[in-house]
Amino acid sequence: MSKRVSPQQVLEALKGVEDAAQQKDIVSLGYVKDVEVASDRTVIVIEMKAAAPPKANSQLAAAIRKAVEAIGAPKVEVEIATPSAAPPKTQSNLIPRVKATVAVASGKGGVGKSTVAANLAVALYRQGAKVGLMDTDVYGPSVPSLMGGKQEPHVVEGKLEPPVEWGIKIISMGYFLPQDEAVIWRGPMLHKTIQQFLGDVNWGDLDYLVMDLPPGTGDIQLSLSQTIPLTGAVIVSTPQDLALDVAWKAIAMFRKLNIPILGIVENMSYYVCPHCGVREEIFGHGGAREAADRLGIPFLGEIPLDPKIRIQSDAGRPIALDLNSPLAEAYQAVAKALSDQVSRAGEEVPQIITE
Amino acid sequence: MVSTPRTIRLHGEGNELVIEWADGHHSAFSYQYLRDRCPCATCLDTEAAAPWEPGPLPMFGSGPLKPEKAELVGRYALQIYWSDGHSTGIYTFDYLRDLCPCDGCEAARDKVQ
Repeated sequence: MSKRVSPQQVLEALKGVEDAAQQKDIVSLGYVKDVEVASDRTVIVIEMKAAAPPKANSQLAAAIRKAVEAIGAPKVEVEIATPSAAPPKTQSNLIPRVKATVAVASGKGGVGKSTVAANLAVALYRQGAKVGLMDTDVYGPSVPSLMGGKQEPHVVEGKLEPPVEWGIKIISMGYFLPQDEAVIWRGPMLHKTIQQFLGDVNWGDLDYLVMDLPPGTGDIQLSLSQTIPLTGAVIVSTPQDLALDVAWKAIAMFRKLNIPILGIVENMSYYVCPHCGVREEIFGHGGAREAADRLGIPFLGEIPLDPKIRIQSDAGRPIALDLNSPLAEAYQAVAKALSDQVSRAGEEVPQIITE
Repeated sequence: MVSTPRTIRLHGEGNELVIEWADGHHSAFSYQYLRDRCPCATCLDTEAAAPWEPGPLPMFGSGPLKPEKAELVGRYALQIYWSDGHSTGIYTFDYLRDLCPCDGCEAARDKVQ
């Protein structure tokens, strides 16, 4: 059993770690936000002043871990938060303190929308943003399982207090239903639920509210698009023609509703065989990028098909939380591209003036 | 792409709803003109069944019709709450732009027809 290391000793060790871009140690740069030393683990929270590429962040995390482990600190965990580009303000009375609302949609089901939505929320949070995740898939809510946790929403002063998992405020129909019950509703009930998820939940100040949509172009999509002026939509598709053909329907719907398309994410883009390392393109590859080019829509990135994503998702710990994982880096890259698009999608919502 | 207004002005004095579009174009709609073109299902059906004609005795009317308020519908449309309680019409921005009564737009429409 090693001798207990004090936070001062950790801080002293951190003075030996340099930010490569600034060529200065991270303590005098003011990056170190918090140091916690418990008997079984050490948590170091770093807050960067400017956004850095995920690669630079993971190198910095590795350097920190090495320096702090050298003085005998137990199980070192490094969290790096970087400020993201400030999104424009959404004008909605229902959620006045939410800056950007991003709908994650697809044409077809089963392309991994919910997984992408949950991991994007985590990746945006890791970039330093305040993030909420709203599961609008009332029939098949999967966000509570993806994000793990046993908390439930509770009512405080007439508003629903959303559970917070991995730093993200979450609401989902899954919290209100026993596992073996189903929601069997027609449109008007769905509409009411969407309004309540927006207006009756205490979202507080958020930079991003990420919304996981059900597949298709139906009641929920329409209710959401009518209830608030969405900042934009992210389309998730797998690379094969079948999925892309249907994704086009979702794009057409958002165009009709004047909602900017922030970009396409290609999910299950390729598979790297764990035995021989050969890259297998199960659903074809690059289809989404080509479609994006053809339609004049930004391409946000590709996420490989990897059993680790499924395992972590089933365990309720999104893969985007893992430092130093190439999968998490893929999500970081998509989140960065998304926040760039959001800061650009600042087309003003029309103003109504009554005289 | 869908036409987008920059401002939508309910001009009480002038009995007009004035839209300044993102491309700089101006549209001034009289309230009656807009109400006569309400796109809701009930109004469209009524219109199709029996086109409205002015009656001889408008004594039961409660003064000229005007919007009590107007609200945005997401990013693509306007919902008008009329003083007689009617509010089911959702006027998409594209529809409003197509309805623009200015001389230039009238002329363009005549040409197409």
